Amino acid sequence: MDCKKAERFLLRSLDGKLDPEKKTLLQTHLEKCPSCQRKDRDCRMILSLVRPQTVPEPLPYFKERLLAKLEEKRKTAPALLWVKWAHRAVALSLAAFLLFGAGILFFRPQEPQELSQTEKFLLQGENPLGEAASILDQKKAEDRNMMLIFASVGDRDVSRRYRP
Amino acid sequence: MDEKELIRRSQAGDGEAFGVLAERYKGKVFSLAYGFTRDRAAADDLAQEVFIKAYLSLSRFQARSEFGTWLYRVAVNHIKDYLRKNKHRLKEIPLQEAGDRALASADLGPEEERLREGQRKIVQAALARLPEKYRVILTLRDIDGLSYEDISRILKLSPGTVDSRLHRARRKLREKLTGRLGRQGGEHGL
Repeated sequence: MDCKKAERFLLRSLDGKLDPEKKTLLQTHLEKCPSCQRKDRDCRMILSLVRPQTVPEPLPYFKERLLAKLEEKRKTAPALLWVKWAHRAVALSLAAFLLFGAGILFFRPQEPQELSQTEKFLLQGENPLGEAASILDQKKAEDRNMMLIFASVGDRDVSRRYRP
Repeated sequence: MDEKELIRRSQAGDGEAFGVLAERYKGKVFSLAYGFTRDRAAADDLAQEVFIKAYLSLSRFQARSEFGTWLYRVAVNHIKDYLRKNKHRLKEIPLQEAGDRALASADLGPEEERLREGQRKIVQAALARLPEKYRVILTLRDIDGLSYEDISRILKLSPGTVDSRLHRARRKLREKLTGRLGRQGGEHGL
């Protein structure tokens, strides 16, 4: 048996949980191994020292003091319960408010987008450039620009208005 | 009165019935707390807090385990919280200093008794320096003398884990004490 196994048996033997066969093996090893003999002595000594020599009694009137504290707890319990629920209510309201805000922010109903004139023409199967052709045919650049400006004034989307 | 009846009455809010239960178990809970604190007043305070906690959570006790085992579990968890919260306040005494203090304060008595008291203090200081899980298991087994099965139920660990953790805890304690008890140890020095 090696020292590692002997240590395992030794620690188990402190609880008297070692079967006779292993006990004999340990004993045989201990007789030959001074290092394990020292470990055995140390362990038994520590075990005897770890327990307090005497355990005192609890302080007097243990039960009476306990019952008084319990009575006190019982009296303050409803108030504590109220405070506990108030805290929960605040937290729940805050969470609900945040959820509502997030809902509004992320699930805002989208307004139906109005179709542009070109899209309307395309949907109707007409040439969108048909109307513009007369404008683009203008030879003078000033006339062309003026006509384009007037043509786009009616568009609701400002960004789509013509700027020369 | 039957323990089950006392528990039932306590669950219904009968403080007196709970008082009887506390009277029956105060020794065990106090002894457990004393094993950790080695201070009578602190152990008494802890024991009172454990019983208050047990009373307030008694509605959750469903008799799936023994009342004593359940109470021990409440106590161990409460003491663990206490040790965690007071980690910095509970000043750790260096091992050698612990022995010196014990020798200085011990009543003049037979030399061997004084040496023994010094060694005891050193072992206590070494125990207090162990990681919490080792400290708990050593206290339950080697100080309170609980069985492996009870420890397994209280700490909710498998018997195999109890065995290996106890083994490691004892080895660590011995390693911490190697060479420490020599000065006070006399012929038994480590």
